[in-house]
Amino acid sequence: MLSPERLALPDYEYLAQRHVLTYMEDAVCQLLENREDISQYGIARFFTEYFNSVCQGTHILFREFSFVQATPHNRVSFLRAFWRCFRTVGKNGDLLTMKEYHCLLQLLCPDFPLELTQKAARIVLMDDAMDCLMSFSDFLFAFQIQFYYSEFLDSVAAIYEDLLSGKNPNTVIVPTSSSGQHRQRPALGEAGMLEGVEASLFYQCLENLCDRHKYSCPPPALVKEALSNVQRLTFYGFLMALSKHHGINQALGALPDKGDLMHDPAMDEELERLVVRSKLHRTSRQHRAKEPGAFGFQRREKQEALERVSSASVPMPYHYRWEPRE
Amino acid sequence: MIPGKYRSVSGRAANNVNCGLHLVIQTSSLPEKNKVRFKKVEFKLNKDTSSFPGRLLQHDLERNYSSRQGDHINLVSSSLSSFPILQRSSEEKILYSDRLSLERQKLTVCPIINGEDHLRLLNFQHNFITRIQNISNLQKLISLDLYDNQIEEISGLSTLRCLRVLLLGKNRIKKISNLENLKSLDVLDLHGNQITKIENINHLCELRVLNLARNFLSHVDNLNGLDSLTELNLRHNQITFVRDVDNLPCLQHLFLSFNNISSFDSVSCLADSSSLSDITFDGNPIAQESWYKHTVLQNMMQLRQLDMKRITEEERRMASVLAKKEEEKKRESHKQSLLKEKRRLTINNVARQWDLQQQRVANIATNEDRKDSDSPQDPCQIDGSTLSAFPEETGPLDSGLNNALQGLSVIDTYLVEVDGDTLSLYGSGALESLDRNWSVQTAGMITTVSFTFIEFDEIVQVLPKLKIKFPNSLHLKFKETNLVMLQQFNALAQLRRIDQLTIDPQGNPVVNFTLWKYYVLFRLSHFSMQKINGTEVTQNDMIMAERLFGILAHVASSELPQYRLISILGDARKKQFQYLLESKGKKPGIINEENNDSKRLVGENTNRATLNYTTRDFYNEKLEEIKEKKKFCKTYIEDLVKEATEINMKNEALQKLWPQMFIELVRDAVIEIRNKNSYMKLCLQQITDQK
Repeated sequence: MLSPERLALPDYEYLAQRHVLTYMEDAVCQLLENREDISQYGIARFFTEYFNSVCQGTHILFREFSFVQATPHNRVSFLRAFWRCFRTVGKNGDLLTMKEYHCLLQLLCPDFPLELTQKAARIVLMDDAMDCLMSFSDFLFAFQIQFYYSEFLDSVAAIYEDLLSGKNPNTVIVPTSSSGQHRQRPALGEAGMLEGVEASLFYQCLENLCDRHKYSCPPPALVKEALSNVQRLTFYGFLMALSKHHGINQALGALPDKGDLMHDPAMDEELERLVVRSKLHRTSRQHRAKEPGAFGFQRREKQEALERVSSASVPMPYHYRWEPRE
Repeated sequence: MIPGKYRSVSGRAANNVNCGLHLVIQTSSLPEKNKVRFKKVEFKLNKDTSSFPGRLLQHDLERNYSSRQGDHINLVSSSLSSFPILQRSSEEKILYSDRLSLERQKLTVCPIINGEDHLRLLNFQHNFITRIQNISNLQKLISLDLYDNQIEEISGLSTLRCLRVLLLGKNRIKKISNLENLKSLDVLDLHGNQITKIENINHLCELRVLNLARNFLSHVDNLNGLDSLTELNLRHNQITFVRDVDNLPCLQHLFLSFNNISSFDSVSCLADSSSLSDITFDGNPIAQESWYKHTVLQNMMQLRQLDMKRITEEERRMASVLAKKEEEKKRESHKQSLLKEKRRLTINNVARQWDLQQQRVANIATNEDRKDSDSPQDPCQIDGSTLSAFPEETGPLDSGLNNALQGLSVIDTYLVEVDGDTLSLYGSGALESLDRNWSVQTAGMITTVSFTFIEFDEIVQVLPKLKIKFPNSLHLKFKETNLVMLQQFNALAQLRRIDQLTIDPQGNPVVNFTLWKYYVLFRLSHFSMQKINGTEVTQNDMIMAERLFGILAHVASSELPQYRLISILGDARKKQFQYLLESKGKKPGIINEENNDSKRLVGENTNRATLNYTTRDFYNEKLEEIKEKKKFCKTYIEDLVKEATEINMKNEALQKLWPQMFIELVRDAVIEIRNKNSYMKLCLQQITDQK
């Protein structure tokens, strides 16, 4: 804990690097907002709970987007929470549209912006046919890259555009190839011309970017690995490669490997318990309620309806209604 | 001779009788001098002619006579022209000086008749004559019979100014023409031809009988000027409407059997004819209608016979009673259609406003995205294609309806409808109607509430009111309510109970999601819903819903820190109270009930209760409110940090300086104590100074 490097940093920088202030500010803000409720059980307990939840990664649940994206740790926690909550959707095999994934995101963060989801979808669909269905794992890994590294990706996009149009942000020398002078800015991935940019050149620019900027970027070594086997690449090809790269995923530490994506034994156990409980709960309700006709909704008398609402615990004749579907 | 059918029986109006026409045939002494060259042919009655049972048919009287004619008529072909020249024996000429019968003589042309200029009756029946010719010299002709020939055009009659009877039945005449000079015409028979139009007869002011049966007439008009017409036979045509009959002052008998009349409106002029006493409509579509008889009787009080049957007093009475009933029914249905029309207009108006609103929102959104767009959007411009394809019912509006509707000064912008057990709300203005004083009975009967053209966010705000005012509402329907997020279904959890939910795909994009039903079942599991969009909910559905989203609930409840739980739940309750308090006249007792209700609900399924829906506006409001606090927090923390870093700095500085300081302290102390005596003196000095 008392490592020399830690002590070497000046105060502000240290605090900023660890985003301590963000959490402090947020904690105090939450305290102010819920003054009445919290004052009941003590401030010390509040702070304990707050920082515990920060450690566990549950502090971002149902919080506003500005908080969720404030720190890398928040982002990781959010990704993890999303994975845990909706892994079952993926396990079920449903393919969903971008809008629907966005809806699921909004369940956890009500004002999550649509553009991020759109950008993530573009990575999966390679900027094509935005209404296509996507699998859970594809979307999740692409979303991870987009969300966690969003600022980095914006810069990368700018670099890519520059490279595509022939401008090299690194060197001073004007490229001698004729294509640089006569060609106009082409759209990304134009057919007929050589797609994308040269990998090595691209990587050099990225390296410089990583050095220059403070915000999180993927470890350069891993990026190099991702670019190693290609000569040329498009922007979305690059992002797709990033999202599929195991090393980067592990470096982030939010999600398990692709193979293990659907596995979460602890949660599965819990889920089984919940399902069983709901089954029992439901049949016991059937016990209580008067059975409607076998073919659905039966018109009820006003009196009955009023009675039922007020005295739901009165036992009434039980008819077994549900048949398991083959 | 005049076939007896055209004699008028002395009826009530016996003033049109022209005695000159009634050539009563001498029945007794008809010498049978003329031997018959041809075989006896029986005189056949024309079936198309009006058959009045009351009439005397003189045909039997004439039979012997007419069949014997044509004996001593020699048709000599002349070398001068192609026409045969007729010659009669002088005996005959004297005997039958005024009549000539050339029946069945296989004539193809009219022969030249010389020396018979005083002829009054001429009979060319049953020949093959194609043109009326060579009779212009017979200027005394009173009756001309060309029945059953092949005449294609009426012509050659311009000199026959005395003609009274013209029989041109069963020919091929296509057009009524060239009758200008026949001003004395009394009977005109054109049945069995190809006439399509009534024309050129307006000058026949002495015409009594007009027979146009079995022609190709499609309508009847242009009858003015026939001031003497008493009988008009139009059977077996294709008549669809009748006009001008009220211009016939003497018309008594009108035969319209076997035509194409289908409504009484097309023969409405008959009601204005005071002289009509006898009419036939059989064989028309109108005769099949249920209202046929009494409508005719009601509108034509002067009628004595209908379809050849006398009209009794009883029938007349029945007719008036039925007519009154029809009137009542029409008034009722008029009222109903008026109401329906108003409803339709209101709904269309609401739909239009909704579309405007949606377009405006869409335009704002696109304008924000495209900051440097070249063409400015005009939000007021609506092209033909609206966003919501709400089916416009275009029913036929009669003029009466139109007039009544123009009296409506204000077309409403919302509509509230109660139809038995369904309450329908169209347009956001309708939500205010929930505040009205609903009678307990009406409110208790309502089991279905339907929302159309209302933003879901607005509906959310009135759900508490709905819960209270309509406790038995078990089925909710949403159409064109802008349901776009799964989250929005969280808002429905605050209701007491829902058995059925219908989300119409139109205007609710959320239905396009694969998982929406499961989410609804999951979030609203405590309702044990039975039907969603008409399909029953099976236990497998519920299990699937639980499987898909169970972990979400678990995470939302167990992993949230305590203070968050409380704050979220507290928020929800606070919001509900806020909505309630905004409405007028809240009784405190009910608020307590609310409290109990929500507590009970929370108890039922805590793990889902944290999944709430805040409408966008409220959410943004909240975020705005927090901004102030955040600013304060920031400055507060900054101050703390400053303090802490200062202290830290001081601490570090102290750490650095301390060894040196310690050594100096020790050195100073040692130097001080070196000389014991002087040190003692110093101490004592210090003590005295203190005092």
